[in-house]
Amino acid sequence: MTKHLADDLIRLACKVMNCLVVAFLLAPILVTALMAFDARDYLGPLPPPGFSLRWLSAFFLDSYFLQGLATSVELALSTTAISLFVGVATAYALDRAQFRGKEQLVSFFLSPLVVPPVVIGFALLLFLSQVGVVNGFARLLCGHVIITVPYTIRATLASMSQIDRSYTEAALVLGATERRAFWGVTLPLARAGILSGAIFAFAVSMDDVAVSIMLTDAHTYTLPIALISSMRANFDLTIAAASLMLMGLTVLLILILEKFVGLNRAIGEGAFR
Amino acid sequence: MTARKPSVLFLPGGALFLALFVLPMAGLLIQSLRYYEPGSIGSAADAPFTLANYGELFKASFAVFFLQTLRISLLASLAGVFFAFPLAYWIARRLSDRWRVIAIGFFVALMFLSVLVRTYALELTFGATGPFGPLLRDMGIATNGRPYIETLVGMGLLHYVIPMSVLTLLATIQNVDPRLTDAAQVLGAASWKAHLTVTLPLCMRGILAAFLFGFTFSISAFVIPMILGKGRVLFISNMIYTRFSEIANYPSGAAISVVLFVLAMGIVYAMTKLINSWWPQ
Repeated sequence: MTKHLADDLIRLACKVMNCLVVAFLLAPILVTALMAFDARDYLGPLPPPGFSLRWLSAFFLDSYFLQGLATSVELALSTTAISLFVGVATAYALDRAQFRGKEQLVSFFLSPLVVPPVVIGFALLLFLSQVGVVNGFARLLCGHVIITVPYTIRATLASMSQIDRSYTEAALVLGATERRAFWGVTLPLARAGILSGAIFAFAVSMDDVAVSIMLTDAHTYTLPIALISSMRANFDLTIAAASLMLMGLTVLLILILEKFVGLNRAIGEGAFR
Repeated sequence: MTARKPSVLFLPGGALFLALFVLPMAGLLIQSLRYYEPGSIGSAADAPFTLANYGELFKASFAVFFLQTLRISLLASLAGVFFAFPLAYWIARRLSDRWRVIAIGFFVALMFLSVLVRTYALELTFGATGPFGPLLRDMGIATNGRPYIETLVGMGLLHYVIPMSVLTLLATIQNVDPRLTDAAQVLGAASWKAHLTVTLPLCMRGILAAFLFGFTFSISAFVIPMILGKGRVLFISNMIYTRFSEIANYPSGAAISVVLFVLAMGIVYAMTKLINSWWPQ
């Protein structure tokens, strides 16, 4: 009977641990969401005695944050466009490549994922100053493109390598040019991977701090940079309101991913660094 | 099929990686070898070469930061796998299809969550300034003490590492045939023993992969120690930033960057090699 007792105890311990872990992951998010509606003008204990939209409106009336948000969105969209173009071209070339060292080339194109972002940011800071790129937006764009391209390459490549070769071959046999076969067959069949690559690129760009903090200047800064500097200055609830908005964005991206790609497939194609 | 020449489609990617990755990283290496005149901004363009920037890193005052980063990262990634495994098992084996999709959505959302939101939410919930600060103090926890700050940084890392490990392990556990453990139990093994001797060894590749992801994420963490560490717990990444922003000693910042780069690459290379030779696919 001791055999079953040990089993039951371990099973119970795992259950309790699972609940505690989920609570640990969920609690900060719920607390932040609740505090974003706190009516008090100071940080007091939970629960808030009254609710208001003051912090949300404070965020949307703050020109410092708004300018950061505008820069972030513009930067994330430009980054995604460039990343997609380069990523799809590179993935297609890699997919068709048949030469020795192809594996190493794939690893090379994915290697920025394992380089700590601060190191990439610092290297770019030194390099861009040396070659004379002074425009703040251009500097940020350079940094964001190089950290997002591996995601678009990986997701697109994963999708393309699953396409049955006979489809493209059939198109070519029927007289299509390589170009036509790419636009008419390969690209549509790889669309799920391309889309998940684009979503990853957009999310990474919207979220980045470590690279941006090196390349930002007084006039061009992203929302995360604006938030982090105000977080270090004074810890008030405007940031809880901003967090709530960013959580909304996360949920939106996840829903798009689930609807058009499927989460199971998306995580298989590289949610991981 | 005959071997084809590399396609022209490599041009945009190749040019981009040369300009924004290879050349900057080479420049970083050269900068790290330049002599630095204290008090100036960066090194002079024709500064002589020296190894002093690296030598400096072996001093005790520097080594402390490296050891601290490695220690907290190691603990966080081990704890991440430990907490994630039962959760992943539960999702893979006990939940209905519908709930499994919801659970996966929850963990993917947690991974996607902005690192700033994550750190702010953790500081708000568990930090000294948040609504639970007084409660923590009443419980006798020194919220400004070093042990608590280190724990908080570890919790920050775990908040990402756990969801990431759950998703990695989920894929692994789903590939293990449940009948294998059933067989062990039919033959008389206790359930825990069957899992220890059958399920765990079969999942070893996934477990090590989850550990590797967690560890490399942790040693290059920047925002989490910057905010939750409150200046008292600094990671290697934070030192690179202060070298640049506070004292403008670029050569020293570059030397730390090169060391961090080699460390991260070395760990990935060694672990991948180890996993592939000990637990071949």
